[in-house]
Amino acid sequence: MEKVLEVQNLTKVYSVGSLFSRTKITAVENVSFYIKPSEILTLAGESGCGKTTTAKIILGFEEPTSGEIFFEGELVSKKRLKKREFMRKVQAVFQNPFESFNPLITVDDIFFETVYNYGLTRDRDEAIKIIDDKLRVVGLSFEDINGRYPSELSGGQLQRISIARSLLINPSVLVADEPVSMVDASLRMSIVNLFAELKNKVGLSVIYITHDLATAYYVSDRIAIMFRGNIIEMGPVEEVLTNPRHPYTRLLRESIPEADPQRKWSQEITIADIEYEEYLRQGCKFAGRCPMAKEICTRQVPAEIMVNDVMVKCHMYDDSKNEVWK
Amino acid sequence: MSFVKRYLIPRLVQYILVTFFGLTAVFLFPRFLPVDPIEQQLSQYQTFGVYVSPEQQEEMMNTLKQLYGLEGTLWEQFMVFWKRLFTGNFGPSLSRFPTPVNQVIRNSLPWTIGLLSTTTILSWIIAVLAGGIVGYYRKRWMEALDILVMIIRPVPYYVMALILLILFAYVFPIFPLSGGVGIARGLTLSWQTILSIIKHAILPALTLLIVGISWQFQSMKLIVQIVRSEDHVWYSRTAGVDDRKLVFNHVIRNAMLPMITQLGLQFGSIFSGTLITEMVFAYPGVGWILYDAVMKADYNLIMGIMCISVIAVTTSIFLLDLIYPFFDPRVRYR
Repeated sequence: MEKVLEVQNLTKVYSVGSLFSRTKITAVENVSFYIKPSEILTLAGESGCGKTTTAKIILGFEEPTSGEIFFEGELVSKKRLKKREFMRKVQAVFQNPFESFNPLITVDDIFFETVYNYGLTRDRDEAIKIIDDKLRVVGLSFEDINGRYPSELSGGQLQRISIARSLLINPSVLVADEPVSMVDASLRMSIVNLFAELKNKVGLSVIYITHDLATAYYVSDRIAIMFRGNIIEMGPVEEVLTNPRHPYTRLLRESIPEADPQRKWSQEITIADIEYEEYLRQGCKFAGRCPMAKEICTRQVPAEIMVNDVMVKCHMYDDSKNEVWK
Repeated sequence: MSFVKRYLIPRLVQYILVTFFGLTAVFLFPRFLPVDPIEQQLSQYQTFGVYVSPEQQEEMMNTLKQLYGLEGTLWEQFMVFWKRLFTGNFGPSLSRFPTPVNQVIRNSLPWTIGLLSTTTILSWIIAVLAGGIVGYYRKRWMEALDILVMIIRPVPYYVMALILLILFAYVFPIFPLSGGVGIARGLTLSWQTILSIIKHAILPALTLLIVGISWQFQSMKLIVQIVRSEDHVWYSRTAGVDDRKLVFNHVIRNAMLPMITQLGLQFGSIFSGTLITEMVFAYPGVGWILYDAVMKADYNLIMGIMCISVIAVTTSIFLLDLIYPFFDPRVRYR
């Protein structure tokens, strides 16, 4: 089993508060996952669960407190993380297309910047051709961006442009941080389809970060559910979403509103504690909201348990013979 | 053409209106004051023990009214005020009678403009660059600079000016104590005069620079710290843009926009001088004569300086409006 990108025991601790009362918040805790070539892995979870922080660490924008990142089996050191060779292979798409581009610089500038910086060509005409080819993949052309400022383009256009820009240098991994949450529904599907198409055609791997389980279910191969910095369930998307094992995943499943007038939107959802409190919780972070919580959950951090193909981090599966839980 | 119609004309109209109302306020406010400058002047003569016959008094009053532009009804006075403004004649200064106000201002304005435009521009450039670089890189030794600025900034300006004056003019007499140019040196165009002017300007300029740099440095640093973690900076980094280009083209350039507005506003206030600097260093600028005029109730001179200051502020805002689209493409001439 080949792994193109692997993350091992990634931890990021932020220290928050004033000078006198500092508290440490573990935004990402012991997160390990990998992605295979030509695969779409979804990182899902509610806002503030550490999805974006994980993405930023992978891209080298944030330094991890501990943990390693391997690219094609090779350890990516902190220094190399910032280098171009890594960026050449791992590209990013951000959530807000309006903020992805410098408002003072024309959009074509960043395209040329990418082409020249990664040494694709030195020739301007050739560069235009490369750019135009990639823009056509997302249904645009060079004419659409030539000399245009970001303020002159629509959000949907900008997001497609942003994806085309990331694909310019043919990366092997695309980290897409909520790429469709700011675009309208019709475009959402075409972007998600584009990811699937690229996966099948050129073998692109996508780390698809989202809180939208519907598109995740539709497009991804595997899914990792994050909660307060931990991956609490990870496995094939079919298995995880149709047969959720972790109580939190069940809760997430139930929170998806369905277009069925007969079915009321679930009433069982407990309003979240303050994020902060949950982050500081000992043991299982979800214990405060979990309908099945037992005494052990507040004391001990659950281990990563494999149930068939699925990894679950819950005391319920500590010992499959344990009758207490049933 | 659409530039003229949709961008220039609305702003020009706005500029003219604001200037008009500003100048009207300058005209009106002194007239609402409970002091009558003419009676004040006359009573001054009386306290000197000069005997003035009623006819002479009447005559004096009329002359003074004419000098002050206080003849007739308020409306007539308003007309006279505008006439004076357009002909650029504010009448004679009363504390320096019969020197015309124009000449008094003309004598001191170059000093103020020379000193303040240099320090304003220089401190802006230094603050933007230093604040930008410190805010972006946040290296250890840079934090030291930050702390230094944090200590300097709350020091009251006059205290710092006096400390510098005592240090560099008295303890180590490197620079002259006061004035704009050496005593008994006529303002002829020679190397020595220029050297003397520069030497006299260094201390006041230094104090203005320190103050100007420190607060602008802090605001620039704060803006940069926000801009540096904006998505487009990360995104440019994934495009392989190198660090130096990132700092100047992406971070400083974006963070500079509020600073440009700020510079434009500062430029307008150059024309009213800096009172404290000019007092501490006895620098012959506009601030100094304004202070003098207020103390001596020199009505015409106050009016003259106020009008220039109003026009300067509105004009610089207007010019700022015109050049701003060059810096920010979101504000387009459409």
